[in-house]
Amino acid sequence: MGNKLLLHAEKIDKRFGPTHAVKEVSLDFYEGEIHALIGENGSGKSTFTNMLTGILPIGSGTFTLSGEQVAPKNQVDANHHGIAIVVQETGTLSGLTVAENMFLGDEDQFIKNGLKDTRAMNKKAQELLDAYGLSYIKATSAVDMYNFEDRKLVEIVRSTYFDPKILVVDETTTALSQSGRDKLFEVMRDVRAKGHCVIFISHDMAEVMDMSDRISILRDGDFITTVDVSEVDEDKLKTLMVGREMGDHYYRTDYPDYANEPAGDVAVCMENVSVPGELDEVSLTLHRGEILGIGGLSECGMHEVGKAIFGASYDRTGTVKLGDGTEINDINTAIDHSIAYASKDRDHESLLINDTIEDNITLPSMRDMGTVLSDKKLHDFAQKYAEIMSTKMVGVNQYVSALSGGNKQKVVLARWLGKQSDILVLDSPTRGIDIKVKAAIYALMEDMRKQGKAILIISEEIMELIGMCDRILVMKDGKVNGELLRSPELCEQDLIAKMV
Amino acid sequence: MTTTKEAAATAEKKGFDFSAIRNFLPLIGFVVIVAFFAITTHGLILTPKNITLILSGGYMLMIAACGVWLIMTMGCLDFSQGSMLGVSCAAVCALSHISIPLAIVGGIVVGALIGAVNAYFHVNRQIQSFVVTICMMFLLRGVCAFITTEAPVMADTSVLQLNSMSLLMGITIAVLIVTYLVTRFTKVGHNLKAIGANERAARFAGIKVQKTKVLVYVIAGAITGFAAFVNAIKVGSVTSTAGNMFETQLLIAMVLGGMPINGGARARFSNIVIGVLSYLVLQKGLVMMGLTTEIQQLVMGVVFVAMVALFSERSANQVIK
Repeated sequence: MGNKLLLHAEKIDKRFGPTHAVKEVSLDFYEGEIHALIGENGSGKSTFTNMLTGILPIGSGTFTLSGEQVAPKNQVDANHHGIAIVVQETGTLSGLTVAENMFLGDEDQFIKNGLKDTRAMNKKAQELLDAYGLSYIKATSAVDMYNFEDRKLVEIVRSTYFDPKILVVDETTTALSQSGRDKLFEVMRDVRAKGHCVIFISHDMAEVMDMSDRISILRDGDFITTVDVSEVDEDKLKTLMVGREMGDHYYRTDYPDYANEPAGDVAVCMENVSVPGELDEVSLTLHRGEILGIGGLSECGMHEVGKAIFGASYDRTGTVKLGDGTEINDINTAIDHSIAYASKDRDHESLLINDTIEDNITLPSMRDMGTVLSDKKLHDFAQKYAEIMSTKMVGVNQYVSALSGGNKQKVVLARWLGKQSDILVLDSPTRGIDIKVKAAIYALMEDMRKQGKAILIISEEIMELIGMCDRILVMKDGKVNGELLRSPELCEQDLIAKMV
Repeated sequence: MTTTKEAAATAEKKGFDFSAIRNFLPLIGFVVIVAFFAITTHGLILTPKNITLILSGGYMLMIAACGVWLIMTMGCLDFSQGSMLGVSCAAVCALSHISIPLAIVGGIVVGALIGAVNAYFHVNRQIQSFVVTICMMFLLRGVCAFITTEAPVMADTSVLQLNSMSLLMGITIAVLIVTYLVTRFTKVGHNLKAIGANERAARFAGIKVQKTKVLVYVIAGAITGFAAFVNAIKVGSVTSTAGNMFETQLLIAMVLGGMPINGGARARFSNIVIGVLSYLVLQKGLVMMGLTTEIQQLVMGVVFVAMVALFSERSANQVIK
C-alpha cells in the first residue's frame, strides 16, 4: 500500500480463566485503510479490539499508536488517544438525553466556572447530528424515544465526531437496516479519506469484500494471515477462517413440488392475533415437516410472532392453538406441548448467562426426570446434548457467560433438542454467528424438517429465508403483507418489495 | 515453545484455582474467626460450656436461615423476618394456654400469612422485595408494640418445660436436613437458582416464576413461624422488641457463609450452616473480648461490607467474542 504505519500491535495476549482468547497476536494497521478483522465466533476479534479501546485490560503485549505506546484505561481514555469504537450491542444509556449520551464522560469541554453549560452541549450535539444528516434526531430528547437503529446512529456520531485516528466498528451492521448501513459505510469511508484507519469486524463476507482494503484473519485466538482484498474471494476467506475447504451450499438444495405434495398436518396456527403496538390481526398456519419463514424490517412486529406462539406475549388477543385444538396461552402449556423457542435476545431471554451449561440445558427437561434428581443424571443429560450440538466448552460445569455467541446458541438448541420439542420457533437463529456454526444449525433444521418437525424461522437475513424456507411470510407494520413459496427463482428483491 | 506451553499451563491452573478457593472461602473464614477468638480469649471460647452456649443461641437463626436462603437464592430479600418472628411468637404464646400443638400450628400459620402478604405485594404488585419487606417490618413492629402495650404476652409454663438441648438441637437439624434434601435432589433448588440468575430467561425456560416466588415467601414465613415456637420455648414471653435486628443477623450470617447477595447459581446450602456458625462465634467472641455493643456493631458492619465486596459478581458480565 505504501502508506505509513499508524498502529502496531505487538504480541497482544489475553486469557479468561482457562480460556485463551487471544494468543500473542501481532498486527499492523496503516493510515488511510479500512482493515477488516474476521474469524469465527470465539476467534478473539472482539477481545482484541476491546483491549485496544480500553473495554478490557490488556493481558500482555503492547499497542503502539503513531510511535507512542497506548494502554487505555477505559473508553473515554481511549477516545483521548484518538481511538473510538462502535460496539455490537446497545452502547447508549437509557434515561439520558441524546446530547448527554453523545458527550458522556467528556462533559468537561462544556464546563464553565464549575457549571455545565447544557445549552452549549445541546447546541453542539444538534450541529453534529445535522452534519451527519440525522437532523430528525433531536439532541434534547431522551435517547429512549428512539429505536435501536437510531440509537446506534447516535453512537456512530459520538464515536467519530472528534476525528479518531482509529475507529473500531464491531459487528455493528447486523443491528442496522440498509439505510443505516449505508450511513455507517459513508462514515467509514470518510475516516479513511482523512488518512485514518477503520478496524472493521463483520461476519458478512460480502460486506467485508466490499468495504475493506486489507483483511486479517483470526482463528481460535491465533493470527492466521493478512491479505489484500484484491488477492482473495469469499470462498478463500471462508477457507482461511474455518481452516478447511468450505462448500458453498450450506442452504437446502431441494425444491419440492408443492402443487402435488400434500402439506403435513397442522402443527400450530394463529388466528387473528393482535398485540398492542406489535401485531395486528395476524393469522398463520405452521405444518409438520415444513420450515416456515417470517421476514420483514426489524420493526414490523415479526419478533412478537415467536413470543405469541410460545405464550410469552403480554396483552395478546386472538387464539393460538395446536393441530388438536389445544390453546396456548402461557409458556408452560407451550413447553408441555413440545413447543421450543429461541429468542432474538439470546443473553436475556434464552439463557441464564451466570449459570452453568448444565443448568441451562436441563432446566425445561427437569420436570420429565422424576422427583429425585441426581447430579449424575443431570450431568449426563447435559453432556449428551451439548456433545450432539458439538458445543465448544471446557465442561458442562462451565458458565455460559464464558462462551462465544455461536456456542451460546448451541446451548439453547441443545436445551430444546433435549426436551424433544416438535415445534421449533427460532427467532434470528444465526444472528452474530459465524459460517461454520451457521452451517451446522442449517443442517440441524433440515434434519428436523425431514423428521416431520415443524420449524418457524423469524429472520432479518433475507438469504437465510430464501435458502431454508418452504414458505415465507413477509410482514409489514404488524400485518402479514404477502406469502412466497420456495422456488429457485425467488430473489431478494421479491421479499424487499413486500417489506417496504 | 516449551516455556510458553508451561506458562500457559500455570496460567490455566491459576484460573481454576481461584474459583476453587472462592468456594472454600467461607469455610476458611470460619476457621480464621474461630482461631482468632481462640487466641484472643486464650482458648476460653472453645470450652464445652461456651460451645454449648454458642449453639444454644443459634437455633432460631439456623432454622429461619433456611427460609431466608430460599428467598435469597431467588435474588430477593426479606427484612421483615425479625418482626415476623415477634408477631408469630406472640401468637404462639397466646395459643399455648390452649394447647401446645395448636400453638405450633398458630405460629406457622401467622408466619405463612405474613409471607403471603409480602409475596402479594412483591409478585402481584411488582414492588421490589426489599421495599415491601421493609414496609412490612415497620408495620409488624407496630403490631408487636401494640399487643405488648399493657404487659408482655406470656407463654404457658408447659412451653418453658420443653427447653432441653436435645429437643431444640433435634428440631434444628431436622429442618436443615429437610431443606437440604428438597433443594439438593429435586428441581426446586435448580428453579430457585435459575430465577436468581435471570428471572426473564427462567420464565422462558418454563419455570413458573410467580408461583414459585409466592410459594417460597409463604414457606419461608412458615419456617420463621416455627422458629417463633423455639423462641417461645427459650424466652417464654414476647415483648415489643422481640426479634429485633433478627433480619440483620440473618443477612450477615448468609453473607458470612458466602451467599451471593444477588442469589443465583453460586448459592449453596453450605452457606446456611457455615454462615450461621461463623456469625454465632463472631458475636460470642466479640462479647467475650469485652467490647461494647457499639464497637460490636461496628465490627459486624465492617465484616458485612467486606464479605459482600468479596462475593459480589462484578466480573460476571465479562463476555468473550
